[in-house]
Amino acid sequence: MQQNGATGARVVGAALVVGGGIAGMQAALDLAESGIQVYLLEKSPWIGGRMAQLDKTFPTNDCAMCIMSPRLVECSRHHNIQIISNADVVSLTGEAGDFTATIRKRARYVDEAKCTGCGICIAKCPWKTDSEFNLGLSKRKAIYTPFAQAVPNVPFIDTDLCMYFKRGTCKACVMFCELGAIDLGQQDQYMELEVGAVILAPGSDIYDAGLSEEFGFGRYPNVLTSLQFERLLSAAGPTQGSILRPSDGVEPRKIAWFQCVGSRDQEHPYCSAVCCMYATKEAMLAKEHLPPGAEFTIFLMDLRAFGKGFDAYFQRAQEEGIRYVRCRASALTEVPGSKSLLLQYENERGELLTEEFDMVALSVGMTAPKGVSELAAATGVALNSFGFGDSSPSTPLETSRPGVYLCGTFRGPKDIPDSVTEASGAAGEVQRLLASGRGTLVSPKEFPAEMSQVGEEPRVGVFVCHCGSNIAGVVDVEEVARRARELPGVVYTDHVMFACSTDSLKAMREAIVEHRLNRVVMASCSPRTHEPLFQENVREVGLNPYLYEMANIRDQCSWVHGDRHDEATDKARKLVAMAVARSCHLEPLYKLPQGLSDRALVVGGGVAGMTAALSLAEQGFPVVLVERESQLGGLLLEHDTLSSGRDSREQVSQLVERVQANQNVEVLTDSQVVSSIGFVGNFKTRVASRSDPTQRLVEHGVTIIATGGREYRGDEHLLGQHPGVVTMGDLEKALKSDDPRLRQAKRIVVIQCVGPWDEQPFYCSRVCCTVTMKNILRLKEINPSCQVVVLYKDIRTYGAREEMYTEARRAGAIFVRYTDDDQPVVQAAGEALEVSFTEPSLGERLTLAADLLVSSNALVPSAGAEELSRVFKVPLGREGFFQEAHSKLRPVDFASDGAFLCGVAHYPKSVEEAIIQGKAAAARACRVISQDELMVGGVVASVEEEKCTACLTCVRICPYNVPIIRDGVAIIEAAACQGCGICVGECPAKAIQLLHYRDDQVLAKIEGLVELMAAGSVAR
Amino acid sequence: MIVGEQKPLDEIRDQISPFKKVLILGCGTCVTVCFAGGEKEVGVMASTLRMAGAVSGQEKEFLEATVKRQCEWEFLDQVAEQIASVDAVLSLGCGIGVQAIAERFPKVRVYPGLNTSFLGMPVEQGVWSARCAACGDCVLGRFAGVCPIVRCSKSLLNGPCGGSHDGVCEISPDIPCGWQLIYDRLEVLGLLDTLEEIVPPKDWSAGMGRGGRSIVREDLKI
Amino acid sequence: MSTNGFEPQIVAFCCHYCASAAADLAGSMRLRYPPNILVIKLMCTGRIDLLHILRAFEGGVDGVMVAGCLEGNCHFISGNTQAKRRVQYAKQVLESIGVGGERLEMFNLSSSEGPRFAKIATEMTERIRNLGPSPVSRQKKEVVK
Repeated sequence: MQQNGATGARVVGAALVVGGGIAGMQAALDLAESGIQVYLLEKSPWIGGRMAQLDKTFPTNDCAMCIMSPRLVECSRHHNIQIISNADVVSLTGEAGDFTATIRKRARYVDEAKCTGCGICIAKCPWKTDSEFNLGLSKRKAIYTPFAQAVPNVPFIDTDLCMYFKRGTCKACVMFCELGAIDLGQQDQYMELEVGAVILAPGSDIYDAGLSEEFGFGRYPNVLTSLQFERLLSAAGPTQGSILRPSDGVEPRKIAWFQCVGSRDQEHPYCSAVCCMYATKEAMLAKEHLPPGAEFTIFLMDLRAFGKGFDAYFQRAQEEGIRYVRCRASALTEVPGSKSLLLQYENERGELLTEEFDMVALSVGMTAPKGVSELAAATGVALNSFGFGDSSPSTPLETSRPGVYLCGTFRGPKDIPDSVTEASGAAGEVQRLLASGRGTLVSPKEFPAEMSQVGEEPRVGVFVCHCGSNIAGVVDVEEVARRARELPGVVYTDHVMFACSTDSLKAMREAIVEHRLNRVVMASCSPRTHEPLFQENVREVGLNPYLYEMANIRDQCSWVHGDRHDEATDKARKLVAMAVARSCHLEPLYKLPQGLSDRALVVGGGVAGMTAALSLAEQGFPVVLVERESQLGGLLLEHDTLSSGRDSREQVSQLVERVQANQNVEVLTDSQVVSSIGFVGNFKTRVASRSDPTQRLVEHGVTIIATGGREYRGDEHLLGQHPGVVTMGDLEKALKSDDPRLRQAKRIVVIQCVGPWDEQPFYCSRVCCTVTMKNILRLKEINPSCQVVVLYKDIRTYGAREEMYTEARRAGAIFVRYTDDDQPVVQAAGEALEVSFTEPSLGERLTLAADLLVSSNALVPSAGAEELSRVFKVPLGREGFFQEAHSKLRPVDFASDGAFLCGVAHYPKSVEEAIIQGKAAAARACRVISQDELMVGGVVASVEEEKCTACLTCVRICPYNVPIIRDGVAIIEAAACQGCGICVGECPAKAIQLLHYRDDQVLAKIEGLVELMAAGSVAR
Repeated sequence: MIVGEQKPLDEIRDQISPFKKVLILGCGTCVTVCFAGGEKEVGVMASTLRMAGAVSGQEKEFLEATVKRQCEWEFLDQVAEQIASVDAVLSLGCGIGVQAIAERFPKVRVYPGLNTSFLGMPVEQGVWSARCAACGDCVLGRFAGVCPIVRCSKSLLNGPCGGSHDGVCEISPDIPCGWQLIYDRLEVLGLLDTLEEIVPPKDWSAGMGRGGRSIVREDLKI
Repeated sequence: MSTNGFEPQIVAFCCHYCASAAADLAGSMRLRYPPNILVIKLMCTGRIDLLHILRAFEGGVDGVMVAGCLEGNCHFISGNTQAKRRVQYAKQVLESIGVGGERLEMFNLSSSEGPRFAKIATEMTERIRNLGPSPVSRQKKEVVK
């Protein structure tokens, strides 16, 4: 336990994360990696949250489970994370730094310590009901796990369905469980946890579509929610990826999506922020799944494609023939017999149409999660009027209670990257609060010294697992074990009932010692789930974990060949022979400690950069903050007020004061980065100052790029040619200086979405719509009689910003939509202007006189972005903003280790979002520089210098820019290598090998197979 | 560097068809860099030939080795034993390597696995382009660093022919006109006036035409 | 040539994050596919070397598949696109020596596509079954006889 130096109060180096969805997992991992003990509490019996139910994710169509399941596994095996599932917070006492949380862990009726997840209980359970995970589209048992990758991989008994709990009979699960893991008498447990901070990430619920009776959800079988549609798309879903009408199992030919079901209405005056994009995604995926000729229509008000890459995605959807109709669908009737659906709607030209669809998906919005008021009461935090967690825009991740933070969709509707960013940001807040307690409650696991195998011949031990009947029910396990004894190098074989059970692990350790085994082959399940466990087990008796090899004879053999016992046994023997052959070629690998600098270099002194710098400096890390201009502040220096109503000057000056007052931050203004070399933990960067010709060398462990952006300035709509035409940025200045023109104007016309679209594809600048609403309200304040007309393509006031749009309309602003094909035209009329445009419902061209024309111009990347991209070897995306490592799950990381990004440098965003991203980038950076040393090595590429011809192939091919040529040979820094082996597969001199996947180690598998086949004892 | 590419497989198989045991010998310098004859290519060639032999029922034994430079006897001597144990050597070195083997091991049958194509450079990963004709009488100084011998299809020294259109040679739209390149570079350097000078005929005897060229540096002799 | 009763041996080089995970999922879902496929797991298909593919055929396997993440979604950014090029090249080599390029195929699938893995495994087995034993292994067998 540590004392906080400043206040003398106790600081507990542990945190409670409530909610095990993607946000909760991210926060937990960021904290655990920076030395804080984490309790990850999940209300349901398994972590994973909403993302587990998604098929693919926009705008990259990445498979949701592919990118998420490694996180699940990481959470489940992290030494600093304890998952407490099926649990609630009962109360939270104490104060920031020193809380006591009382937790109720509800009875699961399965002993998590004993269960190996073999699934026999589920197979034998006779009772079925609708699956919640598949939203009623399939059945599940009374004892069940929701999906194959569930974590913890332990089933749960639904007492409402289980016949034992209803009538006291059955107990099939108890009978078949060979481990005695079913505990029907299990009681709820209460526990008290001492934690320094709490992060609330309980997520959100989806709107109950049944409440919108006009759409017939629940009555019309072919009306689904968008989330049900998502399950239909999933290859692992109820139909294995076939889109079928629930009424007749026939593939639909015409599908419609209705947007804003449970969003942007009287009861839900906010936009759910994700529906336009997921509907677009679902339509595109449906097109891939269905035969050609099917039609897809999305009925919507505004297309809210406000994120990075979203507009390009929308373009692609349109090119693929997805139809967008601008009309809010209001009712639906079912056609008797066919059970198709009839929609009457009015198109943009005001024509009344009737159209029939085979299937309709309701794009349901997000609502506050069920049980949120209990959680709020237990933790003592305030909720906003919609029932989401409340926070202030300048401290967006803080709840009303100090020491309790919030993130993800609990803070309001948002997509995955924003949730992940917030989660990292919230973790950053906790890292800062608990800085003095870091590392006090976690301790790396201690292992005995490793046995030396130098010069020893391989002595392989093979352990074949029955996995109850999962393997042994199909594969002749004893035969596999017996025949493995014939393989070269094998000195010991055994077969065990459950290899992962505690007693089997112990027996295995004893066998290693007794038979002096120096290689271990486990023939059992998948390495993805069990390799870490078995590797740790061999390490416990001094065997290097890289001398362990696995044959997957369950997931990739017995489970898929259940009807072919002999062939499955033959295949298992081959897999074992291959694993044994490879094991003989394995060699021990070591991760070695490497020193690092704990200094951060932050490039860019705007809101995001200053926030990141402060976040790190306030927990004791030295920071060098480089700013090109002569003063800190960035884009905000030119603003008047923020959308939140706060004075932007105040916001900036407060930040600048804090930065300047912090002794850990060294500010270099009028300075630019000129060169940078090195790798994670050990970068060396030269900074040149305008005033001082000598270059400054900064040694730093991490880099954060926060170089912002600028307002586009072109000559569209007479900008620069007529004094009455200004940009939105100019309007901000005019508001700031109280320009008399604003008070005198009779009519102001605003044109949205102005940018360099002749030169590059359109992208949304995300903030302009909200800024326009804010400034309309400001204008109306100072000049109530002024008419404001907004010409727009789509209004994109996502999330709670929607309310400002509603207010702007209430204040009398007039909104008229224009399209790319029919743009407004601005002409000079003396001192005034004339703006002509087409009014869509009239279908006529109108001309209005205006005193002022405000052009809402795009935010474009700052001028130095390209240069910086070269200096730091980090990529730019198609819009010219910096490109993150992964658009969904690594939103503030660069692909290369140790480099991070935040703020408008990443993509246009609001001040609130820039603050969150700044904190998130700091949290990610903290994961690196909070380490005393980096453990380097393992599966990395290694160069044999003697063979290297410096051909530059590796330098050119590496997607992470790791290899360099120094002194005539390639150098691949182990600390930076990601271990993919792309360079290894290409090197013409065979000078590079990927350790643990060396050529001989890969080829050994083939040789093992060939030798076994040549021996003739196994069928081909 | 010397750029080569592998001969068609049939030609290679024809060359070595009489032999039972063949050493495939790679070279660790130029031909490694141009992906024609390094250690990896030796492995691929050996595997390919073994399989081809198996398919056609003419199984042969192939040994594999790669030396630092085939054009040095000392490096060749490192594999002398392997060379002595085989019926023939298939060299994946350039033509120099093949000849060095022939000279060092007078009684050994040696065959080229590559066609030595040109002296050039990679213009992008996987694409190589000729840059030098080894003419023995370098004129690059006159032409702003662009070689008219190699890059002009006719090796013209006094301006382009009539076949230059839109910067492309009439021989193929993929070949930029060498003289366009020369002109563009001279223009950038502000040296266009040098084109007015007539270049006298070149001493071609320093190049390909004359057999047995060699260079002697007495000072370096041991 | 009779292919009656012929069961091909096929090796599948699968990446860790997607293809191998999809194969596991096919197992979790208890899907069925022929037992002729043996998975060799690599971290990324970008590790695949032309030599690995050729040596597998040289050793006598009848077919090889390389399976990586969906295009554009490689966990190592560009590994699967490099693998694709190498597979294309290897196909040409196999074609030129009479083994046949169609015995080798590259697939891209996501980790949630268990059913697709099963389908690919079934189709690949069927394809190689129709092609008959690899000429390399056919010869080898005759030599043994």
